[in-house]
This record gives sequence, C-alpha cells and structure tokens, in this order.
Amino acid sequence: FSTVSTMTDGDYDYLIKLLALGDSGVGKTTFLYRYTDNKFNPRFITTVGIDFREKRVVYSTSGPNGTTGKTFKVHLQLWDTAGQERFRSLTTAFFRDAMGFLLMFDLTSQQSFLNVRNWMSQLQANAYCENPDIVLVGNKSDLSDQREVQEKQAKELAEKYGIPYFETSAATGSEVDKAVITLLDLVMKRMEQCVEKTQQESPNGGGSGKLEPLPAAERKCAC
Amino acid sequence: MWPGAEVIDVAFLTEPERELILAVLQRDQELRRVEELRVRRLKAELLDIRRKGAKRSSQDYSRRACGRCQEPLGRLSVGSSRCRSCNHLVCRRCQVVRGGGGSWACSVCAKEGELKKSTGDWFYDQRVNRFMNAPGYDLVRASLRKRPPAKKRETVGEVLLQRSELNPSPRPRATDPQAVDKGAASPQPLGLCVSNRGLSLCFRLFPEISVPTKAREQQGSDAELLERGSLSSYQPEIHSSQASPVLQRRDSVQGPGPGASTLTVPTKPEEAKRSDPEPVSMVQNQFSSSGVTADESDVLFKKNPRRTLKPPEYSRPTSVLDLRENALGVDGGSMGDRSKSVPGLNIQEEEEEEDIDSLVEIHRKSAGSTYSLRSSGSRTTLGSMMSVYSEAGDYDSAEVSGEIVFSLSYDERTQTLCIFIKECQNLAHGDVTKQRSNPYVKCYLLPDMSRQSKRKTAIKRNTTNPSYNETLKYNITQSQLMMRSVQLSVWHYDRFGRNVFLGEVELPMDSRNFDTPLEECMPLCGKVKPENGGAYGQYKGELVISLKYVSPHKLPADKSRGKRKKEESGELHVLIKEAKNLNAMKSGGTSDSFVKGYLLPSRTKMTKRKTPVVKKTLNPHYDHTFVYKDLRLEELKNMCVELTVWDREAMSSNDFLGGVRLSTGTGLAKGEKVDWMDSRGEEVCLWQKMMQYPDSWAEGTLPLRSSMGKKNGE
Repeated sequence: FSTVSTMTDGDYDYLIKLLALGDSGVGKTTFLYRYTDNKFNPRFITTVGIDFREKRVVYSTSGPNGTTGKTFKVHLQLWDTAGQERFRSLTTAFFRDAMGFLLMFDLTSQQSFLNVRNWMSQLQANAYCENPDIVLVGNKSDLSDQREVQEKQAKELAEKYGIPYFETSAATGSEVDKAVITLLDLVMKRMEQCVEKTQQESPNGGGSGKLEPLPAAERKCAC
Repeated sequence: MWPGAEVIDVAFLTEPERELILAVLQRDQELRRVEELRVRRLKAELLDIRRKGAKRSSQDYSRRACGRCQEPLGRLSVGSSRCRSCNHLVCRRCQVVRGGGGSWACSVCAKEGELKKSTGDWFYDQRVNRFMNAPGYDLVRASLRKRPPAKKRETVGEVLLQRSELNPSPRPRATDPQAVDKGAASPQPLGLCVSNRGLSLCFRLFPEISVPTKAREQQGSDAELLERGSLSSYQPEIHSSQASPVLQRRDSVQGPGPGASTLTVPTKPEEAKRSDPEPVSMVQNQFSSSGVTADESDVLFKKNPRRTLKPPEYSRPTSVLDLRENALGVDGGSMGDRSKSVPGLNIQEEEEEEDIDSLVEIHRKSAGSTYSLRSSGSRTTLGSMMSVYSEAGDYDSAEVSGEIVFSLSYDERTQTLCIFIKECQNLAHGDVTKQRSNPYVKCYLLPDMSRQSKRKTAIKRNTTNPSYNETLKYNITQSQLMMRSVQLSVWHYDRFGRNVFLGEVELPMDSRNFDTPLEECMPLCGKVKPENGGAYGQYKGELVISLKYVSPHKLPADKSRGKRKKEESGELHVLIKEAKNLNAMKSGGTSDSFVKGYLLPSRTKMTKRKTPVVKKTLNPHYDHTFVYKDLRLEELKNMCVELTVWDREAMSSNDFLGGVRLSTGTGLAKGEKVDWMDSRGEEVCLWQKMMQYPDSWAEGTLPLRSSMGKKNGE
C-alpha cells in the first residue's frame, strides 16, 4: 500500500467510503489524521458533527498462492464523526453512506468500551445493511499505565461480533494502517462477493431444467 | 427505514457549527462530482462492450456458436460452457475467470460485474433495499407524491446541502408541510429509536416479513419476486391508503428533534445476550424491501388485477389542448418535421403531445406570423422555423473559414451558464453567387439537441464579420454542466432558400475553469460526422425492463376467451421498471419523465401505451406494465416493442430522452425490409430470452439510444 500523490482527479478505480465512530475523546480524529498524514496532534479538538479525510492507496488482490494479483487505485474517503451525543442524530444519518466502519474505543476508558455495544446496535440500525463490515479498534495503546480495558476482554467482544480487533496508537502510529487496511480488505471482499452472487442468479434462474431447445418450428426466423 | 429525502433536524446546531458542517459537505460534494464523472465514463465504456459482444439474431439463435464472439463452437469443443449469468454458450476465449474457485463469466457479464464494483453500485443496490427508495419504492412515492424521489446515489450530505441551499435559516424547513407539522407537534423520538421503531412498525404491518427468509440474498430472490409481483407493482391509488400510516409515522419519526441530546443509546437486551458465533451474519435483511413488495403485490393482485392494464391518463394542461385544436384547425394535414423532438425519427402520423412543436410551427407558417408562441420566457431564441430544417440535416454547407470570439462564465448563485457571443471574423460566404452572408450563431448544450437546449443570436445582414455582443443563458447546475458540451455553430440565414452551415466549435465543459472568464477566439470547424455507432453515440442512460410472454394455458380463464378463435393467443407483458441516469431537461438538473411504448409494426393508438409521469428525477421508477393481448408467440418474431422515454413539458413539446427497440433485429418483418427491426446487442438478447422462456420474466438493463433513426453504417 502506498499513497498516490494526485488527489483531486477521478483517476482511481474504486471510491471506498469508511467511517469512524465511537465515544467522544477516544481519538477518532487523531487516528484518521495519523492514517492520512502520518502525523499526531495531541490536542483535543472536538469534532463538530462530521468531517472527512481522504487518502489514495493502492490495493492489490491476493493471487492463488500468496502471489500478488491485480492492483487497483482506491480513493478512500474516511468519515470522521462527532462522538458527542448532541450530534448523534446527524452523525448516525451518515452511517448509511459508508461501506465499512472503524468502531473505536479508548483503552484507558472502561466506559468507552462498554459503549461499544451501543454503537454496534446503532450501526445495525443505521448502516446500509444489518451486518456491515466493521473493525473494532482499541486506541491509545501507548498509554499502558492508564489502561482500563484488557486485551482479552476486547478480543472476546470482537469475537462475539465476528469482527477483527486491533489495539492502535495514534500517538505512535502503531497498528493504525493495519486496522484501516483490514477494513478495506473486508469491504473489497464483500464487494466481490456481492457482484458474484447477483450475477449467478439471473432473472431466468439459469437453471438447467429450462434449457431444452425450442421446438424446431420456433427455432427459425420467419424470413 | 428512512425514506429518500427525510428530514434530519439540525436545529440544535449553532450558526458557526452549521457553517463548519456545510463546509465539510461542500468538500464532499466536490468529491462526489468527480466520482459522478468517473461513473459516467465507465458506463459509457460498458455500452461499447455490450454493443460489440452480444448475440445477433441474424444468425440462428440456438446454433452452436459462442454467444459473444459468434465463433462457431464445434461439437467437440470442451471449453465452451454456459455463462451462469446470461445463459449464453460461450467459448473459452470469451470466458473471464474471476475470484477464487475457478468461477467465471462471459466477457460482457464480467464487465458488468466490474462496473458494479467500480461504480459502487454493489453498495447502492444493497442500501436501497434497506432505505426503501427502490423496490418498495412505489409505496413511498404513492404517499409522498410531492416529494422528489431520492436518487440511488444520494448521500445524506447531499440531502443536507440541498436543504441548506433551499433554506439558509438555521432552522431548516421540510419541503413537505406535513412533515413540518409532525415535527413541530409531536414529541420527538430520538435518533436511534427512530429506526427501531420504524422497523417494528413495519413488522406489524407486514407480519409475514419478520420471519427471516432463510438467509437468502435479496438480489437472488428478485426473480421470484418478479414472478409473484408480476402484474401488480403499480397502482398507486390502492397502496397509498394502505401505506400512509407507515409513512406518516415515518415522518414523525424521522426528525430527531432538539431533544436529541437526551438520547442514551438503548441496548436491546437480546442483542446483549446473544452469543451466536456469527451473530451478525445471521440477521439477513429480514425486512428487505423485496418482502414488502411481494406482500403488497399479493394484496393488490387480489384486489384488481385488471385495472392495471389500462394505460394511465394524465391530465393535459388545457393550454396545450387549446393550442393543438387551434393548430389543427388551421392545418390538420402534414405534421411537419418531427426531428426536433425526436432526433432522427421521422414519423408523420399521430397527434401526440410531443408533436405540439410542429403544430405550432405549422400554425406559424400558415398564420404568417413570426412571433413566438411559447410562453416560457427567458429564452433568447428567435423561435424561427429554419432550425427545424437545419436539424433535420436539410442544409447546405459552405467552405468553412474564420473564427468565433466569445467568453463563458458561470454564475454559481443563480446556477446560470452565460455564453457571451462577441463576434465572428472572416466568415465564408453563405450565398456564394451573391458573395454575401447573413450570419447568426446557434448554440446547443450537448448532448441535448432538443429545443430546450437551443439558443440563437440575432441575424446580422450582409457581413462576414458580424458583431453580436449577445449573451445566451442556460440554467443548469454545475455538476450537470460538467457532463455537457457547448456547441456553437454559425449559420447563414437565407430567407428564400436553405440555410447554410458556416462552421462550428464544440467546447467540453468538464475541464473548464470559470474563475477567469477570458475572451476566446476559436477557429471554426466543419461538421463533425455523427460517429461511434450513431444512435448509441451519446450516453443517455439506461432503461430497466422485464419482458414476459404469457402463454395461453397460463392465462386466467375468463369468459371472453371462450369465444376467441385464436386459441394459441397469449399476452406480452412489458414491465417498465425504471430508468437510470437520464439526461436532465429541467432546471435543477432533473426531468419529469414517462415511457411510451408501441408494438410495431402498428404505430397507432391500439398499441400505444404510456406510463405515468415520474417527476423531478433522473432515476425514475415507473414500475408499470404494458400488456399486449391476443398474440401468438410466433407473431412476436415479426414484431418490435419500441419504448421511448420523454421529458414531459407541459407548455411545449416533450423532449426525447432516449429509447430502445426490442425485436429479433433481423431488419425484416414477414420478409419485408423494415427499418424498425434494428435491435442490437442486449435489445436482441432480451427479446430472444423472452421468446425462449415463455411464462418467465426476462429482465435487462438496456442502454438508451440517443436517436431512434436508422443506424449509420452497419
């Protein structure tokens, strides 16, 4: 994965829209800032409603035996949402426009972890489908002395939901890329499956039972 | 359960907050604009591939030949196989392997799949199921008549932006007064419960749906859905009454009010307790809209299957009627040239709405008056009749020379494109013998070649260096403008003879910078030949339809049938589902469209069918079926379903938005050469599929032709 320089043109293969959500102060904005610009801003500026950042990446499918398959240019639109409750009606409305979700909590705040469940049901209600692709992210892994959520706990929860879990640090950059790319990978795979599935079930069923040839009389043109 | 354009109450935001959010949305809009252009480009590419690789029926359809490259398949060729998606036998070379597991599709289906991915349609198609703007859509529309239907790709950001543009006050007003009332009066439920309540409500109304449908993908169930819902997916009158409780409720539920801040996310206890290994994937769209439609259609079916067969009537504005009578009174004979309303189409009969243009023209001719009858002001056109001829290709051409001087600007506030025509220099002589020119400049916003898009300057007498200093204006949104081209052509006006083409320039708008309106001087060029497959040259969007031949034994027995002589007679059902990406004809970047159908060879009232008009959208859902009775399957080989999409224009002629012709495409009907048997590619495929599998729906997405005239070349 590497960043491509030009950003404003339509020279990409896929536009993938991801969205970060979670309690206020868990570090969604700094996380995304780290991901897109590889920088860290320790100041806390609360997000007003919504915002987004962009990044162009190269995505390669994995070939049959671990080889690299095709490569695509992917334009990522990363929506950042306000965690504050007063913006909730606004932010949840944006859930439906996203193809995948970074559900974040703060490893140093038990409460933010407990709320993951609530965010989860928010997603199920407001995303484009009931089981969208989600990655669970425990942020601020660098503050190990203040840690309130144990890795085991979080892993169990993620397992329960059947989603990947990452412990990241926007401050050090640890695992940030990996979390986003895992999500992108999930979305791309789903896309693939979606298309394959729809095409295999055509309106006429494609069932072999229907394929007997027409009676000879009907086979020829009238001309 | 959000309908398309629901209200998100943002009253709790402070002014600076609003502005910040608007700025974000503005950025998002820019991103979407780029994306929209890209998607359009991709779709145009698909058209090309579709055209090339599709079975033609000039060959025997069931001969063993590759369905894509037409190469004969030997009896022994092991590589050939049926594409699981389109059912064509294709040779190994036309198979594209994809994904893992060695699954493959034919080249066209593979490209379609690619497109579904790269355009994001895979996502929008799914989202539509959840947020009710597609299949269960007519339900919504029926009750929300006045509300513009949502675009498939519309995002929340877009909705908010539009709203804020409509109404800059901090408290947004909903377009639907009902919604406002509800919002103001009822205590607001909150963001999250919103959807939950919306859902449970839905369950109550349609109890059957809440039974999870065995993890079936809804796309897959579409076929069955179609079967069940065959006759009945229209009839707004009936479901509106049924639907209104939901919708009203939804209105009230939509806007989480100022109280939203008190929301603490309620956790559903079952969800917390649930410990399935895959809790998420289990719950597959229990409330999928397909369920809704199926249910709804059952109800409707029982109620009155017959009435759907009637073509809809819509009220014509009396002014139009008056005009017609008037014009007919003057001259009921020749209808003049229709080509300005149907590019390339030349049919003389039938007093249609869209013929009003020619009638006016005739009236004008006979009355000898030159004033414009059109009440729509703001036009700078001369309203002359000469362009009627020039557009029909009836003009002379001079040796092109000289240049045109102009400047372009765009006013974002009024969404107006201004084309300032300053002058022309060194023009050729239109009248060679007299060595003189009476030049004027005509402008179109391509691809729209209709009247709506035509502007003209005044005619300057006897000069090859005319100076105009006139501004031609178009009302168009910036994003729409990006897909257009300005075509400026210069013509010599000949009062008695034919107008003479003096040259033209074409300016694509997608790469234009309007920030610095500079005066430009461009050399005039000769006419560019209408290339690239002519009628398919421009991207006009797509039409999604389903065809079914109902064989005699499947028809419900009714009394009249007994008396019928032709026992073999069945019915042809043409379900007009929706159109996608239509061209915009109205200001605000929308169209009010309807589809008209004929079963050729007869182009009379007997075979004419129309859908209701779907307003203010470029992605209309018609969900309307045309039924043609007393047809034998055999007969269909010599017939053709012609479907044309029109933009309804109350005070003037309707505008042609595109069309398709479904037939065997042999060019022959009963051995006679006819120009309307010109179906190609997917048009033929679909027709063949329909004939091959009676009593099942053959569905397809067809590219709209930009002209119904004869193809060039071939």
